[in-house]
Amino acid sequence: MKLSLFPGCIAKNMYASIEKSTRFVFDKLGVELVDHRYTCCPAPGVFRGYDIDTWLALGGRNLAEAEKDGLNVLTICNGCYGSLHGSNHILQENPEKREEINEVLEQVGKRYNGGVEVLHFADVLSTMHETILEQKELDLGLRLAVHYGCHYLRPSEHHESLNVENPHIVEDILELVGCEPVDFKNKLSCCGAGGGVWSGDEEVALSVLEEKLAFMSEGNPDAILNICPFCHLQFDQGQKKLQKFNIPVLHLNQVLGMAFGERPKKLAIHTHLVSTREIEKKVKGLKKKG
Amino acid sequence: MNPVEKAARDSNVEKCVQCGKCTAGCPSGRQSRLRTRTLVQMAYQGQDVTGLPELWDCTTCYNCAERCPKGVNTVDAIILLRNLAVQKGNFPRIHLSAIENLYNTGNGFPLSPEVAQIRAIIGLKKEPYDVSTAPEELEKVKKILDITGFLELVRGGTT
Ligand code: SF4
Ligand code: SF4
Repeated sequence: MKLSLFPGCIAKNMYASIEKSTRFVFDKLGVELVDHRYTCCPAPGVFRGYDIDTWLALGGRNLAEAEKDGLNVLTICNGCYGSLHGSNHILQENPEKREEINEVLEQVGKRYNGGVEVLHFADVLSTMHETILEQKELDLGLRLAVHYGCHYLRPSEHHESLNVENPHIVEDILELVGCEPVDFKNKLSCCGAGGGVWSGDEEVALSVLEEKLAFMSEGNPDAILNICPFCHLQFDQGQKKLQKFNIPVLHLNQVLGMAFGERPKKLAIHTHLVSTREIEKKVKGLKKKG
Repeated sequence: MNPVEKAARDSNVEKCVQCGKCTAGCPSGRQSRLRTRTLVQMAYQGQDVTGLPELWDCTTCYNCAERCPKGVNTVDAIILLRNLAVQKGNFPRIHLSAIENLYNTGNGFPLSPEVAQIRAIIGLKKEPYDVSTAPEELEKVKKILDITGFLELVRGGTT
């Protein structure tokens, strides 16, 4: 399989450990990731909230880059997924709108014909259970509080294959590498960062987060597990801002990277704000298979 | 039809029966002044809600749209209303730096020297392969933004 990697601003420019882990994991799984000259997705809360047509034009430009090479797009962030999947939906379903946007793109020599599929990495992983088992070198034994994040689950009409009321696709992957999901109240609720609220109204963003963290902490998990660098950022920075809780934060690809035998330091999970030392210690003490 | 009424109609707001399920499931509303049901009602009545600061407190979590028994596209409505607010120059200036970043680098969050260093240490390309490191492509992005009038739009206005 060959896919165009859409790393997104945050995994690329703030939590490089997530980009690193992604490249490591997908290489192990035999998926070739191709790079393209992308912009921000652009972010669905702020930029779409400011001007839908600008959001569509830049989204269309990104999709056109992948389409040129006949590749589908792999997102590793719910924001990028929601944004590109959303703009793709409009550009595919609404030929008039697509032409309008193409009139803009053609002025810079580009065009999008609607031929790309936007994938979320969790969905791709869910089709690769056997390969994950083959590549697994460690059963990590971590107890993880899974946070799905809004733009993976909703709008559900855009994600037909998924059981949005009671999803277990991430838990199923975690169980393959010996991790135990820890349940908590209001599991599918928002982290508080989306829609421009993270940068626009920190007080609200942090109150929503605090409520979520309180429920998560009840089960005493080893870490919070996410599938979105923006949720990741909110959990990691937010705990510091709240000066409360101290739960390490891990993206699914970081967990898989460790399970596939890469040293946590090499994946740079120690560059997070909330200390990951306990996780690193635990993983170091494990024996590789074979 | 005024623009708020048009945004309301485009989002099925006329189907609302004011049941309040949207407000009940809103994570932001518990912490802010955002009241989704009221917002929908005001928009339906064509009231100018573009000046309400709570329009910007929606995290776009889509809980409301999922729960609405009448298929009101509450989030679409909020996004359209934000667009109108921006056209009127009535929006939080706090997002301007992200917008300038988008124009200047193609990314909402640009690369800092510290993270560039981390990237190099862990074996990633120090400078990511994106438009920020390809001047010709970045010019095209700026041209797209100039054509859609994005910067002009956000630099205008008074508040
Ligand atoms: S849930 Fe739907 S019908 Fe009920 S108040 Fe909200 S928008 Fe109206
Ligand atoms: S999408 Fe916005 S208005 Fe709707 S429930 Fe979520 S935060 Fe509230």
